[in-house]
Amino acid sequence: MTLLKLIAAGSTALTMLAAPALAEYPEKPIKVIVPWGAGGDSDLTTRVWADAMEEVLGVPVAVINKVGGTGVVGTTEVANAKPDGYTLLNAGLSNVLVTPNFAQVPYDFDSFTPVVKLSSVPLGLLVRADSPYQDFAGFVAGTKEQTVTQGSWGAASSGTILASIIADQAGYQVNYVHANTTAESMVSLIGGHIDSAVSFPPAFDPHLKSGAARLLAVNTASDAYPDVPSFADLGITGDFEGWSGIFAPKDVPQEVVDTLIEASTKAMQDPKVIEAFANMGATVDYRHGQDWIDDMRQTYGIMTDAAAKMSN
Amino acid sequence: MFSNIFQGFATVMSAGPLLGIVLGVCVGIVFGAIPGISAIMAIAIILPLTFYVDPIVGITMLLAVYKAGIYGGSISAILINTPGAAASFLTSLDGHALARSGKAGKALCMSLYASVTGEVLATLVLIFVAAPISLISLQAGPIEKVWLLVFAFTVVGSMTGESVPRGLLSCCVGMMFAMVGMSSLTGAVRLTFGIPDLISGFTFLPVLIGVLVMPEVIDAVRRRKAPHQDLVLKVSDDPADSRVSLREYRSVLGTIIKSSGIGTVIGALPGLGSSAAAFLAYGEAKRSSKNPEEFGKGSLHGIAAAESSNNAVCGSSMIPMLTLSIPGDDVTALLMGAFLIHGITPGPTIFYEHTDVIYAIFAGFLLVDLFLLVIARFGFPLWMRVASVPPYFIFPCVTVFAVVGAFTANQSLSDVMILMVFTLLGYGMRLVGLNPAAFIIGFILMPLLEQNLDQAVSIVGGDYLRMLASPIGWIFIGLSVLSVVSAIRSNRRGRRKAAALAAAE
Repeated sequence: MTLLKLIAAGSTALTMLAAPALAEYPEKPIKVIVPWGAGGDSDLTTRVWADAMEEVLGVPVAVINKVGGTGVVGTTEVANAKPDGYTLLNAGLSNVLVTPNFAQVPYDFDSFTPVVKLSSVPLGLLVRADSPYQDFAGFVAGTKEQTVTQGSWGAASSGTILASIIADQAGYQVNYVHANTTAESMVSLIGGHIDSAVSFPPAFDPHLKSGAARLLAVNTASDAYPDVPSFADLGITGDFEGWSGIFAPKDVPQEVVDTLIEASTKAMQDPKVIEAFANMGATVDYRHGQDWIDDMRQTYGIMTDAAAKMSN
Repeated sequence: MFSNIFQGFATVMSAGPLLGIVLGVCVGIVFGAIPGISAIMAIAIILPLTFYVDPIVGITMLLAVYKAGIYGGSISAILINTPGAAASFLTSLDGHALARSGKAGKALCMSLYASVTGEVLATLVLIFVAAPISLISLQAGPIEKVWLLVFAFTVVGSMTGESVPRGLLSCCVGMMFAMVGMSSLTGAVRLTFGIPDLISGFTFLPVLIGVLVMPEVIDAVRRRKAPHQDLVLKVSDDPADSRVSLREYRSVLGTIIKSSGIGTVIGALPGLGSSAAAFLAYGEAKRSSKNPEEFGKGSLHGIAAAESSNNAVCGSSMIPMLTLSIPGDDVTALLMGAFLIHGITPGPTIFYEHTDVIYAIFAGFLLVDLFLLVIARFGFPLWMRVASVPPYFIFPCVTVFAVVGAFTANQSLSDVMILMVFTLLGYGMRLVGLNPAAFIIGFILMPLLEQNLDQAVSIVGGDYLRMLASPIGWIFIGLSVLSVVSAIRSNRRGRRKAAALAAAE
């Protein structure tokens, strides 16, 4: 039975291009560009989502990784893609809100039609377990005494921007060390090559569990991290979370967006999807519609202000 | 621990996991052997299917695809001089040379035995000493990796063939092409000449196929009119030419063990990959060989070094992933995803929390090696038949696979354009005597060097002397010097030998 299913599913995956022509969307395979490397948190959640979407929509939903330039490469490709709903983007805070404000890129927030938000993860500030910095105040004091390095992933990445907004408010400066992915950045932290890092739970949870790293502060205080203050508790205002969602190029027909939202809503209720998200440490944060878009636009404004402040 | 492993074997020896392994090995060999379709694509396609099966079945199957895929690349490398996977392009140098002299069977056997030996050794390391190895690998940060990569570049010296300056020039050209695109440190876009498709740089696969494979096709077309015999691969009638005798295996065992060691070390360091391991092992085998002039002309040691090291990476790249939850490359990242989706969080505690599952998976790893050996061995007659198909069937197929492969990696037509441009470039390099292998080494190693150098420079701040403060760094600096000196020496020796020969005549 399982084997039959495997073979059946395998052959659909392989004969992706052989779908019959129908008039209604979707009539052919949909590709979802993930502008990050395979295996990252946004890649994994997108793969789970795409797999569930395949069942609902009845066409293959292929996840393609387009890595490079801190997410700019894949994002640009979707911004320039035909707005027919067959090229979608897995986007997050970093590609659609941060990068257009902080780097010269050929797109901005309005180049895309937001479809759905899938999940969110709180940003955390970490040091190694044997670090002299016991808490956030100690860390800030430490940065005044000597140069402290901080791991992140790319000059115009969400990690670096959020970290520098925090640093700005708390009044300290660090040297950023940009790895390819946040997982690589954690390697450098645990290996003792850098002093601190910003990261998200899927990358740092295993190291907290093993006792190799210490979480100094996190965006939202939760039972998962008892005794760890939130940034708000420390007097730092702002929403420091990474989130991941699905975007289409601008000018995609509304009925395509509606079809995708309807299918997503169904897909995200699948218990298998909910379980897989939970296993990966991503909290389902399913949203769509005008409210969500307005919220994003507001954050976009905060980022624009931050960018202006930083260039001064 | 031993009881855990035996228990693991008991778990794996049931219908589900065994079927998964057999299926995975077959898929891996086929995908690996088809130029342009890489192991990672096969894994990405199969990954969603494994969400619904038991983790032991799913993960051993994915690993079977990975290991068999890396091995499978050597089949097409040997038979049609077309590396099916990037890591096996060094295999094509010696493997295809052997095949041309009618010893395709011997080359296939050597590559299979070396692959499986390398995998088994690395898997044993994974099972027994994963934790200490992972702690050592953590010591290698960006600074140490910069020096390791400098060392890797020196291996180019032993790969350049007859002309060192031409080899170095080819390598530099490769490095230059690798710099096209956006810098991840600053976000600056370089050398794209305003072409948006190049922001991400040249995609690796089309470049590899274009430079290494397609010129071969053009060459074949050009030679068609001349009554050349060497276009048809003859298969020697002597059965000794179609297998590797125990004595031959024993004579390369030293190379295999050393190369597996190199592969295991490189695999345990996150972010370097199997191609880099193959260069280092091949370079070292050639450097320490008594007959370095045989390399590239059908040396069994060359095949053994390249294949055992790139397959050893499969096993050891699991070490940082399982023990530290640090994926070293995109394949292990996908595999880590598979673990996470099944609710198993890799990390130091994995051995206590999921003892049954982990040891069953380890047992599965070893079984994969066994099945790979058996299945691939039985496939030989079939592959050999492929080799004896007339080239006017093979080369068109290679061309189609190359174009389709270039397209499917990212489903983008610009990659097909890249393939065509690099085909011309590769053929041009051949005409002027530049070295395609050295070009590819530069192309592969440059981004790794750049990224680690970027990070190292941020870490040391303004104090560049700190780049020299790392003891591990000094080991690699020492090895680099040794490598350069021995390359110069062997070059001189080779020239003296040639002069002596000329004088004797």
